[in-house]
Amino acid sequence: MNRKMRGRGMASSWYGIARTATIDRAGAWAELDDGGTAKIVTGVTEIGEGILTVLAQVAAEEMGVRPEDVTIGDNDTSRSPEAAHAGATRQTYMIGNSVALAAREARDMLFTEIADHWDVPAGSLRAFDGEIWALETNLRMTMKEAVGTCKARGVVPVGAASFTAHGTGLDPVDGSGSPWQAYVFGTQIAEVEVDTWTGEVQVLGIWAAHDVGRAINPRGVEGQIEGGVVQGLGQALMEDYQTENGYTTTHGFAKYILPTSLDIPQINCTIVEDPDPLSPLRAKGIGEPALVPTAPAIMNAIYDAIGVRIKSLPATPEKILDALRNHVPGREQIAQAARQDRAEAHRRGL
Amino acid sequence: MPKIDLTMDVNGRKVAKQTEPHKRLLDFLREDLNLTGTKEGCGAGECGTCSVFVDGKLVKSCLMPAAKADGAKIETIEGLAKPGSLTPLQQAFHKTGASQCGYCIPGMVMAATSALRENPSAGIEEIKERLGGNICRCTGYTKIFEAVEIARDVIAGKLPETALDEDATGDSFIGANVRRLDAPSKVSGRLKYAADIKMVDMLQMQVLRAPMPHARIVSIDTSEAEAMDGVACVITADDVPGTDGFGVFVHDQPVMARGKVRHFGEAVAAVAAEDLVTARRALAKIKVEYEELPGIYAPEDALVDGAPVIHDYAQDNVIKHIPIRKGDIDKGFAEADLILEDVFTTQQVEHAYLEPEAGIAYVDHDDVVTVLSPSQNITHHRHMLADILALPINKVRFIMSAVGGGFGGKEDMIYQGMLALAAMKTHRPVQLTFTREESLVASAKRHPSKVHYKMGMKRSGEITAIEFDMLSDGGAYGMSSEGVMRKAAILSCGPYEVHNLKVDTTVVYTNNTPSGAFRTFGGMQAQFATESMMDMAAEALDMDPFELRRINMMKIGARTHTQQELTTASLDRVLDAAEEASRWETGAPRMRGGQRQDLGGPDTRRPCTLGARIGDAADTETKDERVAS
Repeated sequence: MNRKMRGRGMASSWYGIARTATIDRAGAWAELDDGGTAKIVTGVTEIGEGILTVLAQVAAEEMGVRPEDVTIGDNDTSRSPEAAHAGATRQTYMIGNSVALAAREARDMLFTEIADHWDVPAGSLRAFDGEIWALETNLRMTMKEAVGTCKARGVVPVGAASFTAHGTGLDPVDGSGSPWQAYVFGTQIAEVEVDTWTGEVQVLGIWAAHDVGRAINPRGVEGQIEGGVVQGLGQALMEDYQTENGYTTTHGFAKYILPTSLDIPQINCTIVEDPDPLSPLRAKGIGEPALVPTAPAIMNAIYDAIGVRIKSLPATPEKILDALRNHVPGREQIAQAARQDRAEAHRRGL
Repeated sequence: MPKIDLTMDVNGRKVAKQTEPHKRLLDFLREDLNLTGTKEGCGAGECGTCSVFVDGKLVKSCLMPAAKADGAKIETIEGLAKPGSLTPLQQAFHKTGASQCGYCIPGMVMAATSALRENPSAGIEEIKERLGGNICRCTGYTKIFEAVEIARDVIAGKLPETALDEDATGDSFIGANVRRLDAPSKVSGRLKYAADIKMVDMLQMQVLRAPMPHARIVSIDTSEAEAMDGVACVITADDVPGTDGFGVFVHDQPVMARGKVRHFGEAVAAVAAEDLVTARRALAKIKVEYEELPGIYAPEDALVDGAPVIHDYAQDNVIKHIPIRKGDIDKGFAEADLILEDVFTTQQVEHAYLEPEAGIAYVDHDDVVTVLSPSQNITHHRHMLADILALPINKVRFIMSAVGGGFGGKEDMIYQGMLALAAMKTHRPVQLTFTREESLVASAKRHPSKVHYKMGMKRSGEITAIEFDMLSDGGAYGMSSEGVMRKAAILSCGPYEVHNLKVDTTVVYTNNTPSGAFRTFGGMQAQFATESMMDMAAEALDMDPFELRRINMMKIGARTHTQQELTTASLDRVLDAAEEASRWETGAPRMRGGQRQDLGGPDTRRPCTLGARIGDAADTETKDERVAS
């Protein structure tokens, strides 16, 4: 065996979007504001995934303004409508759709006034990027002018909406039920190099293909995939919170080892879009699913490289060396043959 | 304590201040100068969030006594560009989406600035090396590398300045790479996280934590601590006016230990004082008498007859068991040509968000108890806190502050109750900021798991039956355990249509650090086992792993493990996309790495080798070549 061995492995995954085995809900308020700007208030704040930018894109698209024209209010139980929690890969799906619906309602209010003002059907109006126009006419104005016109007619264009995802609980006996209305799927491939002298594994490449429904912000989706992959890599190879009889022994980053810049594979993302038929935005989600296939893909790649299978995470250098030491070529095949014999015996009722 | 006089040049301005001699440079910048762009992530020089320049050299300010910086020239994140403008490097971070939660980003920008100052033509290997002391938990570093390379080339004139501009938008904002709206405040250190906020007359809180994993509390004497100058209040479980208990599914955790402690590091009492030092000193004056109890430290031990009982309501120590049944596994295994059986385990994992838990509570002019914290679930926290405080729900207000990373770890209300109680007792704002060590011992982890797996297959590759049994360690409190088990069970056997299956997931109480919500919520533990089994099966059947998955994958109309009929399914497309993108060479997974032709492509990185990859401007290119060879 060469000192440094390379290999590849793959793994697939699936995941449900929004809260599990229950009805999920989120609310939002929208207002087309002076100057052709917009306000969105909803009970949600960034936890880093980029949801504020996604919501601004959604609101801008629905209301005909620009993302930078959108102000998003703070997440505050006394000042904003409930959007429940920041987790469960639900932000884009739940809050994105509630913002889309609230923004649509505010826009429709404005469209009604402008259609009457121009004497055209409301259905002929379009708005994008700070301008509003009527199809097949020369009628066109800025959103600033449109909001001004609307208000001069005594109407503040506002909207409020709630979005629901219909999951059902599980049967307590057989677990049957429909826990989510939207599912995503993913596949990742890992390429590794294993140093058979030190037991160290380096992940050199990851190819990650994930269905996200519809990518509102592709760069943001990539960021979620890259972050998920690296957390998966950390769990696969190094991270290990340990206690000894209940006492924490890894109580700092000197003992709890995290991936740093030198551990990072080249991550090649492929975004697959299989639109969600049940929601206005047709987007699904990516926050959690990105992490799921990484560790098994790396373990499968280690097997491809050195022929030993790590079934206990993390695959530390110590475990790799130990496994190599105990490795008998063909042992897995022998074991499988034996298991097969047993299965055969079992089937014959022996 | 006598004060010391310090004089420094900070961001181009002369600063002369008197301060306490114990202060670190980090404290001096944050507390005395209000330069809160410099963050504390670990207090031990391991994470890099506190990076600043001292006399032009990149320094971790948590490791440097302020007194040692006397007379030095200090540059912080706030000083890199004039207010309202960004350096090319900060603009590049904005463009590429290199900031997510943003907490590590000021330190990361400082390290990257240092890299390009030290070597304006640094190659990617040197850039990675120079960022090696800065941890980022969100981004996977990839967009950060991209940003530094763009900035380097713009500064060197190899790329036009327009390379820093936002991508153009076509006829829709949906699907456009709109730059993150919150990035400018993150890359410039202006965004205030809970620990960065000061309020007038604000107290500082410190928490007394359990020194052992399982013990009865015989007595708590707080009188000496309460009598100390500068101590505003001491709180224990006795101060809770309402129904004491919180948790995402079962409300089994008291705000502070009530009657007994169930894990090492559990909150037992808390002090609010005029300053942090006084609060810490007061902790040492609280006398707690414990009577140690036998504990459970492995989930298997929790299920043994006669095992210690950790929560009275759960005499069997079981937090939750989720069963899923479909078809007939006996029939399925009988039809199998091959049966594989194995055991897979996963470890406890820390979220390691760079922002340790922090928060502020105050009682406002309408008598509303207000808690500002990076909570991932203010809605549910409000409900629980109202019960705990015995207040109407509109008299409890939660404000979600900027979250410096969550990943599920900030769904548990592990400190907001203490803050609220102290604010009510003192009618003053109270702030609490965890140390990294506190965050590690007191916050929930990813559930460790052990899966017994049995899979039956036909020679054709079709799965005929799966038996999946997971046992998980929930630790001392229920937190999200129930939901994690449910998700693990639902997703257990992977994206494959399995007609006969028996799935059980069980989580038990132990006296270990609690397990809770963590990105994937049980999904990764379960699918790690399934995807390992799939490759083992592919090897046994001499089949390409993609092929085996295609044979079994859920398609439109498939019934999931919980018998839901799928109306959409995209695994076929995702498999094709991944196989094509990676130039996958078809073959069964049996140590064929040595023969593969698809390795080492341009879409992989170079392996690391020993030795620092640092050059100077003159010899960078040669150095990079040497690394390559």
